[in-house]
Amino acid sequence: MTNPSENLLRYRPWKGELNPPIYASLAMARASLRLLLRRKVFWALYALALMIFFFFFYAQYLVVWITMQTTSQTVNFGSVPVKMNELTKFLDRLNLSGTPHTFGNFIWFEGYILMIVLALSGAVLVGNDFHHGSLPFYLSKPIGRRHYVLGKMLGIGGLINLMTTLPALVLFIEAGLLYDWQSYYWDQRMLLLGILAYGALLTVVLSLLLVATAVWVRRTVPLIMIWSGLFVLARSVAGFLVEVQGFHPVLKLIDLWNDLYLIGLWFMGADIDPGKLGPNPQPWQAAIAVTALGVGCLVYLRKRIQAIEIVI
Amino acid sequence: MTLLLDLHELTRTFAAHRALNALTLQVPQGLLGLLGPNGAGKSTLLKILMGLIAPTSGSGRVLDVPLGGDRDTRDNWRLRRLIGFMPEADALVPGMKGIEYVALAGELYGMPRKQALRRAHEVLTYLNLDEARYRNVEDYSAGMKQRAKLAQALVHDPPVLLLDEPTSGLDPAGRDTMLKLIRELGDLHGKSIILSTHLLADVQAVCERVVIIAGGELRGYGAVAELCARRDDRYRVRVAGDKYDFEDALEAVGIKPLRPSPPREVRLVLPPGRSALDLFRIAAECGVGIRAVLRDDVSLEELFLRATAEVPVPEAA
Repeated sequence: MTNPSENLLRYRPWKGELNPPIYASLAMARASLRLLLRRKVFWALYALALMIFFFFFYAQYLVVWITMQTTSQTVNFGSVPVKMNELTKFLDRLNLSGTPHTFGNFIWFEGYILMIVLALSGAVLVGNDFHHGSLPFYLSKPIGRRHYVLGKMLGIGGLINLMTTLPALVLFIEAGLLYDWQSYYWDQRMLLLGILAYGALLTVVLSLLLVATAVWVRRTVPLIMIWSGLFVLARSVAGFLVEVQGFHPVLKLIDLWNDLYLIGLWFMGADIDPGKLGPNPQPWQAAIAVTALGVGCLVYLRKRIQAIEIVI
Repeated sequence: MTLLLDLHELTRTFAAHRALNALTLQVPQGLLGLLGPNGAGKSTLLKILMGLIAPTSGSGRVLDVPLGGDRDTRDNWRLRRLIGFMPEADALVPGMKGIEYVALAGELYGMPRKQALRRAHEVLTYLNLDEARYRNVEDYSAGMKQRAKLAQALVHDPPVLLLDEPTSGLDPAGRDTMLKLIRELGDLHGKSIILSTHLLADVQAVCERVVIIAGGELRGYGAVAELCARRDDRYRVRVAGDKYDFEDALEAVGIKPLRPSPPREVRLVLPPGRSALDLFRIAAECGVGIRAVLRDDVSLEELFLRATAEVPVPEAA
């Protein structure tokens, strides 16, 4: 009789049904997320993102509490009377009332942390495959290039949603509970869809852009520089040209995060009032710019991720 | 029995460059060495075999699965499921543990998640990486990395293994272990193995047959024993004294020195009827000392050059 421990050391054949390649994309996404969640720097940045979330979470509660609980026009902090409108002025600017602007603002502020996380994770998730020659590991398997890109995008998308859509949904639920929840959830059902659509938009555009830039530059530092150029420099230049120099608002299209924000507000049915938001391009113009960018990334990825990369 | 490779007039061109030129080859299942110098067309052939690029013309099959195009088609996925590929490059995913790396490979091949994980444990145990399975792959030694790459190729139990320089960067003990594993997989577990390497000794140790390609053309195909037999008459003689006098003396008695040769060394072919002892006598006659007489353990390139320039490598029967 064979000793079981000896049997373990022997090669054993495997028989079984193989799944279609789409499952490979899911496996890649899971593996990518696991790689990121294992890094301490990610958790440090995620803690910062959570601070923004908790700020919105408690501020939303605070606004309702102030509105509901104080009947007078002044509130005494110790012996110092503070006017109600002064107290809520700052909070009002953040639109903490469960409206589309609440969620738009929340995702806008989360964007600052998200951009840093994405810039750092690009090299880990995609750049390393090129830099360390891991691409043959993936492309020699029975999957297509599109499955590789999809797998990476899903991993990055998971990260994006973890920092934007998911907490935004929690804020939505909280807003409903703070007001008349039955009417709020029903009346704001389109807003809920808008939040999901905004999340989907961020997922597709940012993950595509990250995969493309990581394939291009591969290493962390150049990736951070490009990402900073796209989201910091471009925003400063756009702001200077449009708000300081008075050029046409269409020039603000170079600010990608603003483009995504405008489309997001549009999805959520928000008023895009120039008086409130400042001069901005139309959401459809932003949509065209973002679509063009996405198509550009796809064309680049199609050209760049070739089987020929497998240098044997 | 189904052929491992059945290629007919397989040609692949890249712009004006013809990487493979009308390659026709029938290889039975077993252990096959694929030899050729850089730029010979090996890479192109392997990519075609894996369905990563399409032949410009010609056709072929790997274990009855037709070679397809370079698009991501079902036929090509079928082809890649047949083949476990161990790349020469590191191809490891930094930050991933050994077990995750191999299980991910299983899932990429299409194995269900739980089965991929269980199978990864089995394969890593088989390859003696069981104790290192929870360590990050980038922390592995060279030998462990090579075994991890073999594990990811083996995880879905493919009938064909395509191993690209599997002993690259290994110390002698690691190399022996790897070659033993490869031989075992072929002999005991019925895997057909295509071993692409520059190391003739690896091919000798493992393969039953060998294919030599150069310039995109088939230059030789046959049993390894046959190829090795052609090396028995070749020597490298390390000399003290004027090596050119020694070469002249050899030529005078009908022994042909091979050129070029390293300084203080003469490479030669002994004609039938001559033995290595004759070399000492000739050396003594021309006042040259012999420090060593070694079998000419040639590199692949040298062997290939001889095979094409001096003695044509015959087609196997």
